[in-house]
Amino acid sequence: MHEFSLVEGIIQAVQEAAGDGGGRVKSFKVQVGELAQFDIRLIRELLVELKKGTRLEDARAIVVRERAKVKCLSCGSEWSFDDVVGPLQRDEREMVHFMPELLSSYSKCPSCSKNYLEIEEGRSVRVTEVRLDA
Amino acid sequence: MPNRGSTIDFRRSMIRRRLQNVKKMLIVLSGKGGVGKSVVSATIAALLGQAGFNVGLMDADVYGPSSAFILDAHAKPTEGKRGLIPPVAGGIKIMSVDFFAPGKPIPLTGGAARQVILEMLALTDWGRLDYLVVDMPPATSDIMITLTSLPRSELSTVVVTMPDRLSLSVAHRVVELLHAGRIPILGVLGNMYRPTHQRTISDDDGPKRLAEEFKTTFLGEMPYDVGVREAVEKGDVNGLLKTTFARTLNRSVKRHLLEGPHAQRKD
Repeated sequence: MHEFSLVEGIIQAVQEAAGDGGGRVKSFKVQVGELAQFDIRLIRELLVELKKGTRLEDARAIVVRERAKVKCLSCGSEWSFDDVVGPLQRDEREMVHFMPELLSSYSKCPSCSKNYLEIEEGRSVRVTEVRLDA
Repeated sequence: MPNRGSTIDFRRSMIRRRLQNVKKMLIVLSGKGGVGKSVVSATIAALLGQAGFNVGLMDADVYGPSSAFILDAHAKPTEGKRGLIPPVAGGIKIMSVDFFAPGKPIPLTGGAARQVILEMLALTDWGRLDYLVVDMPPATSDIMITLTSLPRSELSTVVVTMPDRLSLSVAHRVVELLHAGRIPILGVLGNMYRPTHQRTISDDDGPKRLAEEFKTTFLGEMPYDVGVREAVEKGDVNGLLKTTFARTLNRSVKRHLLEGPHAQRKD
C-alpha cells in the first residue's frame, strides 16, 4: 500500500489549491475510490500526522469512501466492486489497487464476458472540496 | 480566494514534485507504429546509462508495452514509503504497465490510458535522475497530450521516422503539432535505413528535409540492423549495445545530447 505518499500528495495539493494568500483552510474533503482499495482508517491517521506543521494543521479532513460503479462498454451493464473485483485473486486485486484502470486486464463483464469495463465512479482518490475561512 | 468545490487532481502536485528530481525528460515519439521507437528509446536509455548517467525509462506505450522486454527486465516494482520503486535492468530504472499486467491484454479507452499514465508518473519514485526517457505509443493521442503538457521546462522530444513517405507523412503531423505547441524538439531521427547500395526512391532524405522544414536538427540515419532483433530476442542488452545500430545511435547521442547545446551534466 502506498498511503503515505498519497497523503503527502493530498496535503501538498490542498495547500496549492488554497493559494498563496495565507488564508486558513477550514476543511477539505477526500473521496477514496473503492477500486483503489486503500485503508481509509490509515489515510485518516496519516492526514492527522502529516498535516502537522503545515497550513492545514487545524483544518478538518473529511475522508469518505466512494462506491465503485463500473460499466461494460459492450453491453452497457453496470457493476459494483463486489461484482468485478470480488472474484479476483489477492495478487490481481493488488494490481488493480495500483492502477484501477487495469481492471479490464483481470476482470470481465459478468453478463457478456467481454473485458471492456470502464470505471465510472470510485476509481481512486480525489480531493473534492477545500473550504477556507472567510 | 473562493472556496474550491471542484475536484483537485492531487497527482499533479505529486508529479511536479517527482519530476523536480529529473534533470531532463526526453520523449521519444513517432506518430506511426513500427518505426522502431521503442528500440530507439531503450537503446538511448542504455547508452546514457553506459555513459554514467542516472537514467529512467518510462514505457508510456500502455497498449503494447515493450521496454521491459527489450531490456530484459523481469523484477517487479517494489513498494517504498514514498512510492513505487522501479526495477533496474541494464543499469536503467524501468517503469512499465507490463509489470502490472504481465502477458495480459490491456483494453483501455483514451481517457483510461491517460489515467494510467498519470498514475505511473505520480506513483513512481525514480529518485534523482539525469535523464528520464519516455517511450511513447503511436498516434497523437491523450498520452502524447498528457506527457507533452507536463509542468516542466527541461523536456525535449525526439521524433523517429523511417525514410519512406508513409512514415514521413505521419511524422510530419507530429513535428507540426510539437512545433505549433512550442514543445522543444531535439531533432528528427531517421531509422531503419538500408545500406546505400540497396537504397531506392523510398530511402530518400525525407527525414533530413523534415528536420530542415521545421528548423530542427537531423539526428542521423540509423541503419536497419538484423542484429538488433537477435539481441532483443535473447534479452541481451550488451549485445544490443554492440550492434551497428546502437553504435550509430551512440554517435548521435554524443553529438546532439551529450556534447551539444542540450548537454546534461552528471550528478
